[in-house]
Formats: sequence, structure tokens, C-alpha cells
Amino acid sequence: MISFMNRRSFLAGGAVFAASPLLPPFMSVALAERKQAVVRVDVDIANLDPGNRIGTVDGNVILSVCQTLARFDAGKLTWSNDAAKEIKQISETEYTFELNPGQMFTDDYGEMTAEDVKFSFDRFITGDAKGKKLAYAEDLGTLDKVEVTGKYTGRLLLKHPSPALWLIGLCDASGAILSKKATEALGDKIATQIIGSGPYRLAEWRPKEQFVLEINPDYKGAAKAHFPRILAKFIAEPKTALLSFQGKELDFTAVDPSSAGEARKVEQAKVIEIEGIDYTWISLNVEKGALADPRVRQAIRLGIDIDMIIAGAYGGAVSRAKTLLAPGLIGAWPEAPLYNRDLEKAKALLAEAGQTGLSVSFTCLNEAVPMATAQIVQANLAEIGVTVTINAMDSGAYWAMGSDDKSKDLELTLIQYLSKFDPSFQTQWFLSAQVGLWNWQRWKSADFDRLHAEGLATTDTAKRTQIYVDMQKLLDESASCVWITHGRNFFIHADWLKPCLLPNAMNWQYEYFGEA
Amino acid sequence: MKAVAADISDKPSPARWRRIWRDRNGRLGLLFMGLVLLLALSGLILGADPNRIDIPQRLAAPSLAHWLGTDNLGRDLTARISAGTRSALTLALLIVAASAFLGAVIGTAAGLFGRWLDWIVTAIFDTLSAFPALILAFSLVALYGTGRQTFVILAILIFLPQFGRLARARAQALRHQSFVEAERLLGVHPMVIVLRHILPNIAGPLIVLAGMNIPVVITFEAGLSFLGLGVQPPASSLGTLIKDGFIYMSESWWPTIGAAGTLALATLGSTLLAETFRDILDPKSATDVEGRA
Repeated sequence: MISFMNRRSFLAGGAVFAASPLLPPFMSVALAERKQAVVRVDVDIANLDPGNRIGTVDGNVILSVCQTLARFDAGKLTWSNDAAKEIKQISETEYTFELNPGQMFTDDYGEMTAEDVKFSFDRFITGDAKGKKLAYAEDLGTLDKVEVTGKYTGRLLLKHPSPALWLIGLCDASGAILSKKATEALGDKIATQIIGSGPYRLAEWRPKEQFVLEINPDYKGAAKAHFPRILAKFIAEPKTALLSFQGKELDFTAVDPSSAGEARKVEQAKVIEIEGIDYTWISLNVEKGALADPRVRQAIRLGIDIDMIIAGAYGGAVSRAKTLLAPGLIGAWPEAPLYNRDLEKAKALLAEAGQTGLSVSFTCLNEAVPMATAQIVQANLAEIGVTVTINAMDSGAYWAMGSDDKSKDLELTLIQYLSKFDPSFQTQWFLSAQVGLWNWQRWKSADFDRLHAEGLATTDTAKRTQIYVDMQKLLDESASCVWITHGRNFFIHADWLKPCLLPNAMNWQYEYFGEA
Repeated sequence: MKAVAADISDKPSPARWRRIWRDRNGRLGLLFMGLVLLLALSGLILGADPNRIDIPQRLAAPSLAHWLGTDNLGRDLTARISAGTRSALTLALLIVAASAFLGAVIGTAAGLFGRWLDWIVTAIFDTLSAFPALILAFSLVALYGTGRQTFVILAILIFLPQFGRLARARAQALRHQSFVEAERLLGVHPMVIVLRHILPNIAGPLIVLAGMNIPVVITFEAGLSFLGLGVQPPASSLGTLIKDGFIYMSESWWPTIGAAGTLALATLGSTLLAETFRDILDPKSATDVEGRA
């Protein structure tokens, strides 16, 4: 006979039961809620179509809801098979794959087959159902075609060798495998309703409020999620997010660099600090009015005091950027020129361009750091006779300018884009084809476009480095970008939580979130 | 004829104005508004530039150089609060005056001439009142962008119907009064009747309503600026100062204290003054001022 309870365990259990009301209320709540992690997202879900996603919030949801042929390992840039049972490299331009059988899409959309892989990747080659080019088409731009060779098998044929294909394409959100049946049935609704076969399913989304990821019990891959639920609350303002964390409404949130010191004082919490590879800059629309004159752009670049922005808007918590690619990345350009403020030269350039009483708009997000930056720029440029009108926008309206040519009337714009570890991901937004989408400078260069294509096809690291340095030189000559910082990422999390981030800090792997 | 008119007049008189000081709330209101005015003028007197950025001094505590400390960009808070207060008071007075004037003109015309004009005016007032203020604000900002001009138009649209309705109701009541009828029978021009009898008789309630609306406009402006829809940077507003102060509260609470305290003083002071005006000028709600003094 097996005894389930003896006298000692009965007494111990009774003592715990009797003492339980004396526990602090938050402890009992915390113990009861470990079935979920509550995270904060700074922008709401905007588009869950992998090829038209708006930012990393969308990308992180897509990667937790969908499978990819191979998935990034926890917190690393290495990868392991996910939907694929096997992937073989036949040559520099050919891969074969075999899917695991029995991988079911949620909502009764059936089993994943090689046809679904072909359908998902073909969209990046031929465009969406209406033939419109996807915003992230360049991620899989080296794919020539996908061939289906069996129910679960197929071939990926590339136009040329591609060192970045896995890093920014197949393992990332662009490599998400969609259900052909679901995508065709849903039409435009895939922007808000994603059907996948990954570790989680999107169970609920209340716009501008929160979304809930619930574990997908039918997921067959290796990245089984720890938490049954991930609750993501939308809080735009980072300072408000920190207050919410202090109020124990959140378990994980990014922290504004200027609040890192305060975050470190929070009890029962840990702060993660990751050197940034992203890029924040002021874009100058080269097609707009006086800004079409490079001398005016150069004058504005010399009129802005970046060190003052770093000290005033960022509280000195980040370092200054000189160019697009952050130190340590392929293509980093340590010798990039540093443009320190030179009022006399700036005024002389404006005079040479025949500009007096110039007025420009400065568009930015309506948040603390961008607003502080905007006011510093406004004060800086006033000293060279340029009047700046600040146009602060909420995040929805601001990021909506990345489509349908809505950015054409921008003049000066404060932008922060996120990076990945292959430089081609960063350079793609400055291509001529991105004008009207994410190239808000509207600067076009055939040489830049050609070099980008060369960089994608070059496997030699030294050659690639030189290509990306040359591209940055072209950007520098255009004077269409005033670089501010690559940032530094700070996160705060409850001490019981073990969040999982890729080294770029912005790709959160919800499926690998666990308990410390 | 003038004696008849005086019987029902709500016109303010010097004697009535003097009674403000004899009322406890009136004295408090005057004191608070005096402080607010002093603060509003202090920036001009001290000559500090409210927009001068001084990063090394960011979020500094009060000192001799910066009496109320500095904000997140090292700008002098005394100068910024002073500028924000001037802006709030100027906007409040401008909006209330414009709303009262337009409301009086439109409401009086509707009340006196009636028929289709009354129907149209009432329909417009009802439509404007039906819009929640914030929804109207978001709509106008989406159409015309943020800024002082948009805010002034928005606020006039919001406050105009109150004055218009009051003027219309009073005009309707007055148009059949014997002294108005008598003037009309004597062939006096309608405009003269309006200027000589109608407007003076509706001035009292309008002044009371205007006074009551001043703190509402001040808080409305601060609220919209807090949301980023009102006064735009670098111009200072009590609302933006409170918002910035809230964001940097953990590093320095001086910006919040200064701006929120000023807003509280301004709204409380103007409310107390307006209530005293109402007690004195509006016979229907008048209370025994001396009894409370």
C-alpha cells in the first residue's frame, strides 16, 4: 500500500495552510500567476502579414505563432530545425528541405506541406494576392524560386550565393510559413488574424490595449513554450511603463536609457543592459523644398548639436553614432566623419544656398525622448536662422507613414529603426525602391542600389565590409541623414522571470521565456 | 421707462463689485488670482528666457539662479511656468470673451427674431453640444493640426452654445416685456432697443457664466496640452509642463509641483471669484454675502 500522507506531512501542510493568510498579498498573487508572463509592448500590433509587418512587435508575434524551416536558438544567432526535419545545402545556390509530417495549422486549416512553404516564400518573389510587392521582399530577395518535390519535400533555388539568407530571411519573421488555405481564405484579414503552427496562437487582441498568446498544444517542434500565456500590454510611453512595472503590473519591459539608473533601484527585479546596434537619425527629405539643395542639408547637419541631444534627451546614457552601421557589425566604418557643430560654416552654407528665413517641419513620435530631441533641434537650428515647427505624432499615425507614399511631405524626421546582424537588413531601407515606403529621406542612388545587390551576393567578408563602407560613404555624401545614436537597450524584468532576447535586443523569443 | 427697465436689470454696478471683497470666497479668489497674476508677470519682470536650453542644469532643484528649478532640458521653470500661466490666462480670457460675444449676438438674434433663425441656431447649438469635447478636439486636430489657433477655434465652438442658449432665453423673456413693447410702439429702431435694453439686461448672467467658464477653459487647455493636442513646443503650457514633470517625476518633482500648483491656484481662484460674482450679480442665486463674511 502506498501512503500519500503521514503525520509529519499532515502537520507541515496544516502549518502552511494556517500561515497562508499571513503571506503578503503580492506573493500569493505572484504564485498564482506564474502561468503567464506579462510583458509591455511599446507599439500595438499593426500588420501580422510576415512580408508587410511594421516592426518587431509584429515580428515577435509572427515568430511565436508561426513555424519557420529553422528557428533561432534561445538567445543566440545560431539556429536549429523547426518545421524542417532536414535541410541540406546542395550548392551555394541550392538547398533541399524535408518537413516534419503532422504539423497542423491552428483553426482547422490542415497539415503543413511543402506547398505551404512554396506559397509563403513565393509571396516575397511575386508579391501578395494583388501582385503588390511586399515591404520586406528584400529579406528573401535572393530566392529565385521554390520547387515542390513531394508532399513534405522541396528545393530552394537562389539567384546567387546569399550569406544573409538564414540570418535575416528564413529564420526571421519573413521566413514564417503560412497556411496557403488560410491566407487565401482570409485575404486582407491576414494583417490582423494570423494562422500558424508555432508554439503559440494569438488568442486575443484588443487594439491599443493588449494581446494574448496562448500555448498551441498541437505544436510539434522543439521550441515548446514554458508559459501557457503571454499577456502583452500596450503602453507607448517608456516612463509610464516603468511606473507600471514598479506597480507590479508588468513582469518585463524595455526601459528608457535615461531611466536605467532608476530601474536599477527597483526591488525584486533585474536590469538587462545590451549595447545597441539600432540606429536613430534625423532624416532630411531630399525632394522637399529647400532641402533639395545639398548645401542646406549640410548646413542643417552642422547646425545640430548631437552631443547636446545625447546629454539632454538621453541623459547621457547612450553614445553617439557616426554612421549607419554600428561598431562590430560587418561593414562598420570606424573612420566615418564626425560632424561637430559649426555655426559659422552652417550659416555660410545657407547664405551660399541663398536661404534666409527658412522654415522646416520636424516630425517625431510624441514621446519623451523624441520630444526632447525635437526641442533641442529647434533651439539649435534657430541659431542658424532656421525655424523648426514640431509635428509630434502618436505611434500609429507615425508608423503608418511607411506606406502609400504618405512620407512625401515630411521634411526633417526623427527616426529609430531596429537592426539585425547582417548589414543588408539595415541598408535595404535606403534603397530607391523603398521611396514611398520606409526611405523617408527619399534619396535615390543607383550606385547604392547596385552595391546593396552586390553585398547580398558576396560571401567574402572583407569584400562585403568594403561594399558596406562604400555604401555608407554615399549616404554621408548625400547629407540626408544626421546620425544620433545606435542606442543602448535596457530592460527590467521580475527576478523570477527569465526573458529571452536575441542579441539585437529587440527580437523577443516569447517561446523561450521561462522562470529563473 | 428707464425706471421700469432698472427693476429687472442684472447690470453690474460699482457697489456690487465692492461687495466681492466683503465675501470670504471673494477675498480668497482675489488673493489666489493675485498670486497667479504675479507669477504670470514674474517671467517678464525677471526677463528669463523660457526657451533657453541649458543641459548641464537639467532637472535642477530650486536655487537663487532658478527659483523654481529647471526642467528636463535645463530651462528655467519660473520663466516657463510664468509663460504657461500667461498663455493659459490669455487664452481663457480670449476664448471666453469671444464665445460670450458671439453667443450673445447669435442668441439674442435668435431669441428676438424667432422663427426659422431660431430653429437653425438651436439646431447648430444642439449639434455642437452633442459632440464630446475630446472627440471634437481629436477631429479638429486631425483636420487642421495642433496649435494655438486650432485650440482657440475648438474652444469657442465648445463654449459658444452655452452663452448662446443663455442669451436666447433671456432675449425671448425680454422681447414681450412692457418696456420693450413700448419702445417698439414708439418707433425706436430695433438695434437701439437691443443695445439700450436687451444687452444690458443679459450682461449680468453672461458675465457670471463667463466667470464660471474661465477655470473650465484653463483646465481644458491644460488637458489638451497634456495630451499633446494643445499648445506646441517650445511654447510653454501648464499642461505640457505637468506632462513633462510627470515623465521625469522620479528624477525631480519640482516641475510637477510648480506647474500643478499654479494650475490649482488659477482654477481655484477663478472659480471662487466667479462664484462670488454669481452670488452678487445673479439675483436668483444670490446669497447673503454679509452673513458669510
